[in-house]
Amino acid sequence: MRDLKHLIFFENLLQEANNDLVKQAKDDGKRCLGYTCYFMPEVLLDLPGCFGVRLRAPRSGSPDMATYYMSNRTCHYGRSLMERALEGGFNFLDAQMATETCTVTCRFQEHLQQKKIDSVSDMNIIQNPDFFCEFIDVPFKKNENSVEHYRKQLECHVLGKLKDNFGIDTSDEAMMKAIEEHNEVCRLITEIGNYRKLDVPTITGYEFQVIQLVSLVCPKYLILPYLRETAEEMKTRQADAKPNYRCKVVLAGAENDDPAFTQLIESCGALVVADRHCYGSLPGREEIVVAEGQSPLEAIARHYLETSYCPRFMPANDMRQRKKYLADIAKEYKADGMIVVSNKFCEYWSYERTIDAIVLPRDFGIPTCSIEKEYVNSASGQLRTRFQAFIESVEIKKIQGGAKK
Amino acid sequence: MKYFGGCDVGSTYTKAVILDENGKICADTTIRSKINSEISAKLAMEEVLSKVGLNSSEELAYLIGTGYGRNKVPFADENISEISCHAMGVHVTDPSVKAIIDIGGQDVKGISIDTDGTVKNFAMNDKCAAGTGRFYEAMARSFEMSLPEFSNLSLTAKNVIPITAQCTVFAESEVITLVGEGKPMDEIAAGIQMAVAKRCFVMSKKAGATDSITLTGGCAKNAGLKQAIEHVLKLKVINLKTDPQLMGALGAAEYARQKGMA
Repeated sequence: MRDLKHLIFFENLLQEANNDLVKQAKDDGKRCLGYTCYFMPEVLLDLPGCFGVRLRAPRSGSPDMATYYMSNRTCHYGRSLMERALEGGFNFLDAQMATETCTVTCRFQEHLQQKKIDSVSDMNIIQNPDFFCEFIDVPFKKNENSVEHYRKQLECHVLGKLKDNFGIDTSDEAMMKAIEEHNEVCRLITEIGNYRKLDVPTITGYEFQVIQLVSLVCPKYLILPYLRETAEEMKTRQADAKPNYRCKVVLAGAENDDPAFTQLIESCGALVVADRHCYGSLPGREEIVVAEGQSPLEAIARHYLETSYCPRFMPANDMRQRKKYLADIAKEYKADGMIVVSNKFCEYWSYERTIDAIVLPRDFGIPTCSIEKEYVNSASGQLRTRFQAFIESVEIKKIQGGAKK
Repeated sequence: MKYFGGCDVGSTYTKAVILDENGKICADTTIRSKINSEISAKLAMEEVLSKVGLNSSEELAYLIGTGYGRNKVPFADENISEISCHAMGVHVTDPSVKAIIDIGGQDVKGISIDTDGTVKNFAMNDKCAAGTGRFYEAMARSFEMSLPEFSNLSLTAKNVIPITAQCTVFAESEVITLVGEGKPMDEIAAGIQMAVAKRCFVMSKKAGATDSITLTGGCAKNAGLKQAIEHVLKLKVINLKTDPQLMGALGAAEYARQKGMA
């Protein structure tokens, strides 16, 4: 396939958290708000006057300094963020907005937070005098009471703080404007992602992940023109005459902001056609609908709580629904198998991955490869062997299935 | 006569096998791997090619690379993972075997085999080299012995001293401490074999081994480990009639034969 016009530009934007578009938005006078979890609604961080950046720690090495503070029994992702903060890589942040969802990212944030009390010596990690941390509680259920609780949390701990600290306009009109912009990003990402559903997809999993990631880590108003142009370019993009993959897979699991990992899978012969993982688009890039008579904030609270398939929700029907969602994605995107990945010490996905590896083949007949990885993949040789063996077995099953028909 | 080749470039040893049209092994070799996978493959292939009177890999009807350096085999028509190749190699050697523990230089794999020699299921260790050939090399080194001497020593033990560390570095340190405390060397060696056997237990259970099992890879020649695995797994470990270290290369050559004859 012909290279996408902006792919190299997008790849470069992913080399640093403080990328060129973030710098440009800061120069425009906007406040930069870091976050890590889907449950900190990015749409609220993109109100006029500020913008959200979902934090990553690209090009990380061993997080030795962070391990001193957080212990080696916490996930590598949280420690890598902490390491990057200690290296001074997050000094561009004006605030860090956390959620009580992924524990290790809360532990990351507690080190950033200035206590400003006599008995505690603050670490002063983020070298920005305006910097503050905020934190919201997210319910474990999805009923009406939970939506209201979540809405109040957003009102007090996000909107209230942004208004008080930075004078951000948090009116309904401002929220509607942010929703409109957010929805356009979602529409474009969904449109681009839908090319993965074709019999012969015209976009690779790697390319799509790069595009999805830049939409999370760049100011929306600055990345939108590039996304529009890419969506337009995709309309005429032709697949290679001879596909260079042997099977199609869904990549599911925990936090994954590393396109090189997707590239590793694809280099072994499996095209990644769907991304059902943290920082992925399924779910995550659905438009927010504000019903008539509904406040924008209520619509946002309901949207984020109800669209999520995060394994933190433990009711039995939610758990079953998650497996079905994976099976439905596999069917919709014509995938032959599933690769489920968790990060070592991930409290939710370690359990979910184990169950998925049993339930998906047994109840849905989907070949599943279960992988535990770290944020930085230094063991690419062994991962390559595992992926290749999985792809070979999926391919043989596919051939045998075809022969039986 | 057409010939078909399989070259298994492992992290420690490189193996090559040449089959004829009937699947008979015409030549094989095992050499110590060089730092450069391409050179290892070239040297191994030169040796087997000369045994069948061929001058170059290009004269083979089909050649498949496998192992850690599988994509570096010169003139290979394609590469296949060592997991699939070990399964096929064992299948053509003894079709009654349905499960394998493959202990290579840097990893341990449990593999269950389908009726046609393809992989039914597999499990593999993560990046840690605990319980692999490298681990054994480090242990034998701390005993100042060769690997066969170490294996034989473990077989003489009346008791087993448990080794708690699986990490190569920590296990070596634990062994040195035990030796320093004057504990019997044979019992420490048996403890090391038992620790690795338990790791193999996890892999084989994950892969779905149920009745008999066989060992492949260089560590399959370790009689002490075989005995420990039989003890831990409560399964009969089947001895293969062909060198178990050659199974990856043999499987690759068999795949080459099937593809080349198709």
